[in-house]
Amino acid sequence: MPEDVQNQGIDRRKFLTVLGATSGGAIALSGCSTSRVEKLIPYLVQSEDQVPGVPTYYASTCTECASGCGVHVKTREGRAIKLEGNPAHPVNRGKLCARGQASLQGLYNPGRVRGPMLRTGGTLKPISWDDAIARLAAEVGKAGGRVAAISGAGRGTFSDLLAEWVGAIGGRVTRYEPFDHEPMRLANRQVFGTDELPAHDFGKARFIISFGADFLDTWLSPMEGQRGFSQSHGFSERGMARHVYIGPRMSMTGLNADEWVSVTPGSEVALALAMANVLLGAGGAPADAGGLRGALAGYTPADASRETGLPAATIERLAREFGTAGPGLAVAGGIATQDRHAVELCAAVNILNYVAGNIGQTVRFGAELPAADGYQGVAGLMAAMDAGQVGLLLVHEANPVYTLPHAAGFEARLRKVPFKVSTSLYLDETAALCDLLIPNLHPLERWDDTRPGAGLYGLMQPVMEPVFPTMGEVPSVTHTGMPGTYMESPAAVVGISTGDVLLRVAKKAGGPLSRFTAATFEAYLKDAWRGLAGEQGGAGDFDTFWREALARGGVYGERPVTEVRLASGLSPARYARPAFDGDGEFIFAPFPHSFLYDGRGTNRPWLLENPDPVTKITWHSWVEVSPATARRLDVERGEMVRLVSPHGAVEAPIWVYDGLRDDVIAMPTGFGHTEYGQYAKGRGANALDLLGAPGDTPFVPYLSTRVRVEKLNTWMAVATTEGTPRQLGRGIAEAMPLAAAARGLTVKQAYREAAGVAEGEEHPVTEIAAIKGWRAEQIEMRKLGDYVVAQPSWGMSIDLARCTGCSACVTACYAENNIPTVGYDEVLRGREMSWMRIERYWEGGEQTGQPLQARFVPMLCQHCENAPCEPVCPVYAAYHTADGLNGQVYNRCVGTRYCGNNCPYKVRYFNWYKYNERAFPEPLNLQLNPDVTVRARGVMEKCTMCVQRIRGMQHQARLEDRAIKDGEFMTACAQACPSDAIVFGDMRDPASRVARIRQDPRGYHVLEDLNTRPAITYLAKVLHGAEA
Amino acid sequence: MAVIAPNFTITQTHADVTRDVVATLERPSRGYYLALFGAVGLFLIGLVTFAILLRDGLGHAGYTPPVMWAVYITTFVFWVGIGHAGTLISAILFLFRSPWRTAVYRATEAMTVFAVMTAGLFPIIHIGRQWIFYWLLPYPNQRYLWPNFKSPLMWDVFAISTYLTVSTTFLIFGLIPDVAAVRDKVTGWRKFIYSQLSLGWQGTDTQWRHYSRAYLYLAALATPLVLSVHSVVSWDFASGIVPGWHGTIFAPYFVAGAIYSGIGMVLTLLIPLRKSLRLEHMITEYHFDNLAKLTLLTGCILFYSYGMEYFVAWYSGNTFEQTTFFLRPFGPDWWAGWSMIICNAFVSQLLWFKKIRTNLTALFVISIFINIGMWFERYVIISSSLTNDYIPWAWDHRLNPTWADWGILAGSFGWFGMYFLLFARNFPIVAIQEIKEMIPMPRRRAPGGHH
Amino acid sequence: MRKTALVAGAAVLASLVALLIFGTPSGAQQQKSTAADSARVYVLDAADTASLRGPRQPIFFRHDLHAGQYKMECQYCHYSVAVAPEPGIPSLQTCMGCHAVVGGSDSTNRAEIAKLRKAFSENKPVEWVRIHFLARHVHFPHSQHIKALGPSACATCHGDVTRMPQVFQVNNVNNMGFCISCHIERKVTRDCTTCHY
Repeated sequence: MPEDVQNQGIDRRKFLTVLGATSGGAIALSGCSTSRVEKLIPYLVQSEDQVPGVPTYYASTCTECASGCGVHVKTREGRAIKLEGNPAHPVNRGKLCARGQASLQGLYNPGRVRGPMLRTGGTLKPISWDDAIARLAAEVGKAGGRVAAISGAGRGTFSDLLAEWVGAIGGRVTRYEPFDHEPMRLANRQVFGTDELPAHDFGKARFIISFGADFLDTWLSPMEGQRGFSQSHGFSERGMARHVYIGPRMSMTGLNADEWVSVTPGSEVALALAMANVLLGAGGAPADAGGLRGALAGYTPADASRETGLPAATIERLAREFGTAGPGLAVAGGIATQDRHAVELCAAVNILNYVAGNIGQTVRFGAELPAADGYQGVAGLMAAMDAGQVGLLLVHEANPVYTLPHAAGFEARLRKVPFKVSTSLYLDETAALCDLLIPNLHPLERWDDTRPGAGLYGLMQPVMEPVFPTMGEVPSVTHTGMPGTYMESPAAVVGISTGDVLLRVAKKAGGPLSRFTAATFEAYLKDAWRGLAGEQGGAGDFDTFWREALARGGVYGERPVTEVRLASGLSPARYARPAFDGDGEFIFAPFPHSFLYDGRGTNRPWLLENPDPVTKITWHSWVEVSPATARRLDVERGEMVRLVSPHGAVEAPIWVYDGLRDDVIAMPTGFGHTEYGQYAKGRGANALDLLGAPGDTPFVPYLSTRVRVEKLNTWMAVATTEGTPRQLGRGIAEAMPLAAAARGLTVKQAYREAAGVAEGEEHPVTEIAAIKGWRAEQIEMRKLGDYVVAQPSWGMSIDLARCTGCSACVTACYAENNIPTVGYDEVLRGREMSWMRIERYWEGGEQTGQPLQARFVPMLCQHCENAPCEPVCPVYAAYHTADGLNGQVYNRCVGTRYCGNNCPYKVRYFNWYKYNERAFPEPLNLQLNPDVTVRARGVMEKCTMCVQRIRGMQHQARLEDRAIKDGEFMTACAQACPSDAIVFGDMRDPASRVARIRQDPRGYHVLEDLNTRPAITYLAKVLHGAEA
Repeated sequence: MAVIAPNFTITQTHADVTRDVVATLERPSRGYYLALFGAVGLFLIGLVTFAILLRDGLGHAGYTPPVMWAVYITTFVFWVGIGHAGTLISAILFLFRSPWRTAVYRATEAMTVFAVMTAGLFPIIHIGRQWIFYWLLPYPNQRYLWPNFKSPLMWDVFAISTYLTVSTTFLIFGLIPDVAAVRDKVTGWRKFIYSQLSLGWQGTDTQWRHYSRAYLYLAALATPLVLSVHSVVSWDFASGIVPGWHGTIFAPYFVAGAIYSGIGMVLTLLIPLRKSLRLEHMITEYHFDNLAKLTLLTGCILFYSYGMEYFVAWYSGNTFEQTTFFLRPFGPDWWAGWSMIICNAFVSQLLWFKKIRTNLTALFVISIFINIGMWFERYVIISSSLTNDYIPWAWDHRLNPTWADWGILAGSFGWFGMYFLLFARNFPIVAIQEIKEMIPMPRRRAPGGHH
Repeated sequence: MRKTALVAGAAVLASLVALLIFGTPSGAQQQKSTAADSARVYVLDAADTASLRGPRQPIFFRHDLHAGQYKMECQYCHYSVAVAPEPGIPSLQTCMGCHAVVGGSDSTNRAEIAKLRKAFSENKPVEWVRIHFLARHVHFPHSQHIKALGPSACATCHGDVTRMPQVFQVNNVNNMGFCISCHIERKVTRDCTTCHY
């Protein structure tokens, strides 16, 4: 029997029996072998919105970061198989980042704590839910008022309940988020007298200047950043905004900037103030800004130039451009520039924005983005712990032992607390030290809500029954609805969320807690929403309101905009060189990893194998040095070094990176877990180990230490997917100047203009002669294979002017197509299976003396009309379908791999081992998409343009006797792309969006001269030339 | 009169020849057993390796995408090439009536059959799902599925199977009279076996007439295969669009290479064999001199082809071709590139000197170089071309062979050696009949080559 | 040497293929057996199930009674066959819809229906033994075929269940030849990615 059929079927069926459900699943996943006796397990009671073989979508909210994107959860036979953006949600508008999508691997993570555990005799042992709750109640009684809690920044009904609950017994909740925006909040208080975080409109800005704020991947609200940025910075008839990035290291956001300005770390404040000063001089600033004159007097470009090491002229130019470009937008507060004076920097940037008149335009207060208590709060808590005022600590959605610098000494203090309770889903560093584990449910398994901003209320509902059965007595409302619509939870059984635990404990403990009367957290949540319904005028018929809210995923009102003015008696902005601990020769700059973020993503293979957008490194941590530094230290890529700061030391391999200052050494966060499941534990080194205790600063100053580098003379192979990062003039990622693009020139024309050659001369005469006629002939020949019947011809366009390299499409592809992750060793051998990969080519850089630029090219199967892979397959496993796809039939493939050799784009991937068995340890296998074959070892696989979606939609349309509408469905990558760079559709339909885009003069095909005639059209990246 | 070699007339009688040759079938030396033991050992290593590949998948081998073909295809082409010398010598030289082939052709023919047998294993070993290799064969099935006859790999399947059929027939057929001769010498169960194999050969006039006629036809049939088979194999590469493969000279280039490597292997086998079987008076320096000349010729053709490849790459002005050919000698795998050029193009030039051509030790050493060089030629053509083709992003994953690659390679030598040794021990390694034909007839002048 | 191996392999293979084609019971035999079964439609006892074709089920559910005698629509139980790729297996609730009232005419029926009621009251889904398999690399959308062939097309693949006291496999639906022959006959697409993706 061909091995296409793997044992997933069995595992899944086991899971389905756990669900006590379903025929559909069992059938969809049935084995090939008729010898095995399979069981069909029917529902006891058919839930009417679950139709076997048809996906049902439920609206929910993503909780991977505080920005609270809306998601649609795709479920099949009662299990979630994919997360997609909720088009109705104002934050992400139907898009979803890699981290958000990987939330699914949080749900099915093998490292999840399967039930309550109690520390007995030093080790954690499973106990029953009743015992756990009883024990907690008892401990709460015992602790008396000496109760405290630490939780994440998530803001919603649960956090209210927690606050009240803990408050009722005389404790308080500390809300802590590692990468929070404390400096920004304090600066806003300082400058505008408000504590809240504003919303930023990148879409409206014509000139964006970022002081180390990585708004495309990790800062504040990345999806909004992405969308806005692609609107303003993506090429359109109204031109293209400029983006300047200021920081010690070019992050992914930096690589998308038109200009990287690197200043002496810590001197950004001076730059910002000087720019404000220049603008003030130029006039046009708001009337009341005059008061600043005195304050800014001390900051002339000359002064700033001394501090920053930039020519004064540059500073003036930046200021001028910023002031005149139309609405500008300056952002600050990223980890990359979070030194001890981060508050001053944010304040300076506030002033800059104010002077330029951006407040209320591109910076809108009133949005109330969620913020935490900052390090102050934690410091307070630790003080309380020291003083022995904490008898019981409740840890919820926080992992301070890992996310705080080790030197802060949280762990030592935590150990002093008599009784520690964790609700973590995974055994993370903090949970491992706790005495009682009562795992919460994953957001996809529980009732919850969140308030990501003013006017925004996101709902979460149990879209499936718990992966690991909890005591499931909580009945859920029965409901009706048709498949494909969004409705209330299908789960016949809902597990115990932490909310329920709190309420049950309240019942048991009584006393001050007796006022929490709600039977379940669901009921509690509904009560809270009744109030909201009142405000929203839905009080009349709450059920309808609730139902609609669930279907929509929440209530999305307009974001209020509140006027802010300069705080009266604004103290003159003060700038002083920030201090750095230690006497090492390099400044140490830890930066947030685009996918692992603060380390919460490190237990998810999708995020570990998705190459870091800048270095393309997977599966391990690294140390970045500039080429000059590398030469001076005599180190090369892959050489292990030890970084030593006054507070600690870490070891990691070297990565030489042109986009880094010579006096800085950078390292990603998120690695070096000592717990947190099989994938994260012991992987790489934790950059935070080098930081000192924040001391008196009200936030964690990440950019605050100096390090020394020690060569270890050992080596480690760096698992990067990058081959040769230069295009060698092969025109893979084309680019053209803005002027040319605006005049509607094609890439070739633009090139000729630049090179000053006439048509045809870009090739040597001999070559022209050689291919003359031959090409035409080829194109004639091609017609031989054309189909008589008119068929759609599926195609795609990718706009490189919009693509930011964020790699959301990569994870989307992994999720949709059951792509296995292969791990460190196999990546080293170039065997990663990513059907969709983002190639990142360098232009300029140290060796050329030109400024470093990146070109991101999503590379996937080009579905060539003239595909080289097709004729060489001896068994027709690779062949061309009537509707223009380059089909790949896994069960026909014998694995000669000739197609892989003959593919000029190198987008065919071979199953060298039984990856399908290795990559999905239970229960990860439950995430597999039943519509896509799980490939066995020994077969070739590649992008199919999500043929399962195409066929599915064709079936649907045929059932309804209608034609498919353009944009009615799209491939997983196009659907996920936050900057809307990927467009999919039927090229034969002249009205389709993709057909129109293919006519764009910027359009070109990669390796066009091979005459493979790809179905993927790339639109050249557009560059700001010397103009402006 | 026909001679076995100039100024070397056979002094023995027919009886002597038979005796000497049949003697080679008698009690083997200890050296023989050691060699056989070694061969079987290597074969077992290969067997175990293959079993592991079957269990876990091809991952154990050193494939580093985009290098999707590696040591296995290299070795496949190597063995197919080896085969060609045999057919050249036994068939073409037969048609050209060059008497010096007589003493060596049996050995080379056997080598051909076993080499092709070895090569035939590799297409199966190297595919991802070995258990369905038969999908490559066109057989009627209710699924209405047929193989893709446009694919060079299909051409391969047919080329190899044809070659195997024809060369096997040719060998067995040529053996008949000799087996008969042996039959008359031995006794007991061996007599029984040989009499079965001799298909009732009596050596009557009629039999001889039919025999020599049929032999002629078989030779004519085998001749075109010498050119066709390796041309087809070369198209596996030439019809791909990979820079470094997509060359028009590939067919002649590969055929020349094949014969070159084949004769290399012949020398490697014959020199020790001649000694251990004490056949010095039948396989003489004269034969080796001729073989060496053939080697020199094909070596020069290779030299030219190498030069031509580089020239065309430069002249085409095609950046992809140029990159590939620049990286062969100067890229990370320069050592492979140079060992190919030196072993094949340069070492063979030594054969201009008759001293070397007739010095068996020197010849043996050179033949070893040739074998190594030709294996590396295929290695370089495959790996270096695939390592750096169109998309730079996919580069720098250089092939680094593992135990799985070497295991199978060793196994293939074991498999080949095993059969060759067994053959040499159990069948006349020198064609008794044709040697006899050269013995001057006492009564009338020999009817120069009456076939 | 290799050649003989190949020949032998091919021979073995041919015989295997032959088995695949002819191994499955032809329509004719099928008719006989069902005729035989239907002859004793009313005298069947749960104990007899062993003697019937097809695997024995936890509950002796008789298609010949429900679909045959009572002429119930297939889609009454296999609810999603016209709207979804999967036909759907009736939930116990569906069964109870009738059998809460219908207790069975004779002792045998009563006994079997009792099993059903027990399972329902104990929230224990009945584990039916699966009869028709499809390899996981094949996607067969039932709804498309119902749309094309009409609601009563089930018999095309599943045989005439209205005459089967105990369902058995009439056609090897997991055999690509079986699909293709029909697709050729009806001149519909044979593109690989119609079913394989």
